Parts: sequence; C-alpha cells; structure tokens
Amino acid sequence: MGEQASRRVPFVLPSPNRPHGLMASAQVIALRGGGVSGIELAPAEIQVLQDLTIFAFAPFVSGAIAHFEARLQGRRGPRILQPYYDIAKLFHKETLAPEDASWVFLACPIIAFACYLTVPLLIPVLTSYPLPLGYMGDILGGGFILALAGFSIALGAAETGAPYAQLGSSRAMTFGALVEPSILFVTFTVALVTTTDLPYFEAAAVRSSLSQVVRPAHLLAAFAFFLVVLADTGRIPVETHASTLEFGMIDEARTLEHSGTPFALLKWGSAMKQMILYVILMNVFLAPWGLAGSRQLGSVLLAVPTFLAKALGIGAIFAVVDNSFSKLRLFKITEFMAAAFLLAVLAVLVLYLSGR
Amino acid sequence: MSALTAAVSSQSTITDAAEAVAILVLLSEFAMLRAALSRSQVRLYAFQSLSVSALAVIVAATRHIGDLYVLAGLSLVLKVIIVPAIVLRLLREVEGDLAGSHRLGVASMVLLAIALSVFGIFVVGTMPIHSKSLPVLAFAVAAAVILVAFLLVIVRSDVVSQAVGFFSLENGVSVASLVLAAGLPLIAEVAFLFDLLVAVVVFGVLMRVHHGRTSTLSTRTLERLRG
Repeated sequence: MGEQASRRVPFVLPSPNRPHGLMASAQVIALRGGGVSGIELAPAEIQVLQDLTIFAFAPFVSGAIAHFEARLQGRRGPRILQPYYDIAKLFHKETLAPEDASWVFLACPIIAFACYLTVPLLIPVLTSYPLPLGYMGDILGGGFILALAGFSIALGAAETGAPYAQLGSSRAMTFGALVEPSILFVTFTVALVTTTDLPYFEAAAVRSSLSQVVRPAHLLAAFAFFLVVLADTGRIPVETHASTLEFGMIDEARTLEHSGTPFALLKWGSAMKQMILYVILMNVFLAPWGLAGSRQLGSVLLAVPTFLAKALGIGAIFAVVDNSFSKLRLFKITEFMAAAFLLAVLAVLVLYLSGR
Repeated sequence: MSALTAAVSSQSTITDAAEAVAILVLLSEFAMLRAALSRSQVRLYAFQSLSVSALAVIVAATRHIGDLYVLAGLSLVLKVIIVPAIVLRLLREVEGDLAGSHRLGVASMVLLAIALSVFGIFVVGTMPIHSKSLPVLAFAVAAAVILVAFLLVIVRSDVVSQAVGFFSLENGVSVASLVLAAGLPLIAEVAFLFDLLVAVVVFGVLMRVHHGRTSTLSTRTLERLRG
C-alpha cells in the first residue's frame, strides 16, 4: 500500500524560479560566463518564441527529413532549404480560384494557418513549466484546434467542386475519424497517470523518474501515439506523402486546386502540423528532457536547437520506418488503426488494474 | 530505511517487468489472431511460449521455487522449440494458399477481441486474488488470452489456426496457474506439458488426414455435410 501511495504522489511541476537537472547546470555555466544569459524573459515573450520556433523552423525540419529520405533511397534529393524556396516562390505567384468558388475557398487556408499558429501556445515546445496561455486548452483542446484546421482545409476543397480535391478531403475526414479513438484512449492514459489532461503534467510525470519511462502503460500509450503520428503525418500505412500518385493521395489531393499565396500557407501549415505532432510526441511522451527550466534567455535559446535535434531524430526514425515497410491497400487502413487502438486500450486497462 | 526503499523499488521494478511480459503474451495472442500466414502464427506461438517461460523464471526467482526453473526449462524446450518445429515441418509438406482464412475483416476481428479481453480483464479485476510474485494484471491477461484464443479458433477457418489457438489456450492456462498455484508439484505441471504433446500428435494427425482428404488446410469444406 505504501508503495502505491508513494507512486501516486502528484507530479510537481518545475517552477521557473527553481531550475533543475540538465538545464540547471547549463544555466550555472552560462551565468559564470555572464553575457546574455542573465536576462530574464517575460512569460509572454517565451510564448511568442515558442510560436516563432514552430513558424520559422517547420519548413527546415520538413526539408531535412526529405533530404535524409532521398539519401535513404539512394537519391541525391532536394536541398535542405528547398521548402523555404518553394514557399517564397508561391508567395510571388498569382492567386487563382475556381469560377464557382466563394470567398470560403480563399479564407480556409488562412483559418488553417491560424489554427496551426494557435496550438504551439498550448504545448511544451521550449519550456518544462507551463506558460500563462498553456492552461487555455488541454490535449483535447489542442486536438480540437487541429481538427478545425483539417475541417477548414476540407471545406475549401469541397468549395472547388473538383473531383480530386473532394476525394482527398473525403478520405482525410474518414481516416481522421478512425484515428480519434486511439487519441482519446491515449488521453485517458494521461488522465489516469496525472489526474489532469494537460500535456505539461504528463511531461513532468515522465521526467519524474526512470521507472515512469519504462512502465508498461506509458510504453503502450507512447507507442500508440507514435502510430497515430505516423498515420497523421501522411507516412505509413497507405499514403505516399511526397508524390501525387492517385492511390495514395489523401492530404496532397486536398490542396490541388489552390495556388499562389493560399497554397504557400497550406504548404507551410502542413509542415507546421508535422512539427506540432513531433512536439507532442517528443516533448510530452518520448523525450521530455532538454527543455528550459527557467526564464533565462540563455536556457530558453538553448532549448531551440535541442528541440530541433529531437525533431530531426524522430523525423529520421519516421523516414526509416516509412521506407522499410510496404504500403497497405487503402481499405486496409482500418487494420493499422485497430492496432493503434489495441495498444491504447491496453494502456488504459493496465492502469485500471494496477491502480496506479 | 534505505535498504527498505531499495527493496520496495526493486519489487516495483519486478512488478513492472512481469507486467510488461504479461502484456507481451497478450499482444502475441492478438498478433496470432490477425497474422495472415500460418507460418508467422507458429512463430508468434513460439514467442508467446518464450514469454510464458520468462514469467515462470520471474516467479521462480522472486519466490525461490527451484521446481519452477525446471518447469520453465522444460516448457522452453517443448513449447518454444519442439512444438513449433513439428508444426512448421508439417506445414512444409503441404503447399497451397494458407492466407485468407478470416471469417471476418481483420479490423472487426481485432475490435471483437478487444471487447472480449476487456470483459475478461474486468471480470478478473473484480476478484480478490493477490499473488506474492506476479501482479494481478498477469491473471487478468491469462483470462484475456484464453478468451482471444477461443475467438481465434472460432473465426479462423484453417486447421493450423485451430491447432495454434488450442496451444496458445494452454499458454493462457499456464499463466493463470503461475499466478494461482505457483507451488504446484512438479509432477502435475509436467503432466500438463505431456497433455500438450498429446494434443500436438492429435493435431498433427488431423492436419495430415484433412490435407490428404481435401488437399487444403481450410476447414470450410467440413461445413458441407455429405454422407
């Protein structure tokens, strides 16, 4: 009983004034060196910095992963910075819309982009302690905003009346619904472990001790979420995310009718969505270490390259997984989702039975 | 005090490890259910038996029961090496398509199995059963494995699935007996293992006769009754 009680201690969130672990030592070194690290940032500034990190580096991460993937396949591949050039080019192109489309068609990419800019405010991108706006929404709140982005893109595709765009959006919405049960059960696991469903608390729980990392429920939930992200970033099971092959077209097809600035926003947005999912996977479930524990400028800035390294690492793993398994037929996607669902349900059952 | 803490933490590590192995047993049962090829079903059965042997070793180590080491070794030799080898050899003799014996779609099969194992786990979870060496989860997993093994036998219509389902049913019973009766006399446990050997012989004969008569491993032809 004593053991159970000791395990159920609520996980104390690190406060910005009480630095801990890796970051603490880094900070001490930085303080000895003097310089910029003495400056304390306001929470609002850090929050803006979180958003900027996702905003500025998402195309870089996409480009680096595409480059790595090309190397994996024995091609030379595009430049790492290619996504930036693509987006810059698209901003200079003229914007066209189908004749029958209304203003919704042009507004949708902007709504989606705004959604992708909102989610980084809620999740631990750079800091291990919650920022003021971090309490604005929990995991479900973040999920709703991501779903709103997906919905508005589908709405824009439906507006065009073009068959391919509608096919893509219909597929995306159908398969999105299949992912939901797994995400819900992963959220239940988080709720059972931390008694909240805030991503910051789950990250703190994982950080609290090594036994939290290797406990079966956490491993099951993390792996289920890994599968969800794998499907959601358009890799396995059926999608070919880099090509416009008709059979595997889901996400790519939705944006076929767009051009110019809205298309640039959509491309940028899809890179940001991928990075947001990586943040949740790495900084909440798999590796919530290396985040800034204080408000010092030095430690917050150090968290940016640390996170980029983690994102590139998980992106490389995704690319390897994507290239070492064959794609499934489109209607076998339910089998893949059933596997993810099984793992998430087992995680909840394990937590329920072991009562901790 | 620190020794006590160390003991508690090592105890919880062992519980975690036992939970992880028990979950592996259940996951391999699910994998058997959805595996397309009979050959991979047999390999998964070997893996599941390996996990059960590991559980037996954990129990033997925590409760200092020497007999259990012998049992773990015996079941390792029999269920991980001999039985899969025999079934794989039988499979090599028969040719033909082995895939596609599902009566239901894979996703609905898995969902049905999830519902069954949730039922099993909840029912067992309400029982006041505590083992000194294994977490209650292991017993719940045993119930879930037995139910899913039944489902495997019911929804897959080929002889190999029936055999593998029956063998893995025995694995589930082994896990349950590790939780409930870890100190069972060795002779009784060995008798169970020989039961399994008899089952292997029976299923081997069944597979050969069935394949000889119908030149397929599918049991669907059996549904057509003819005098």
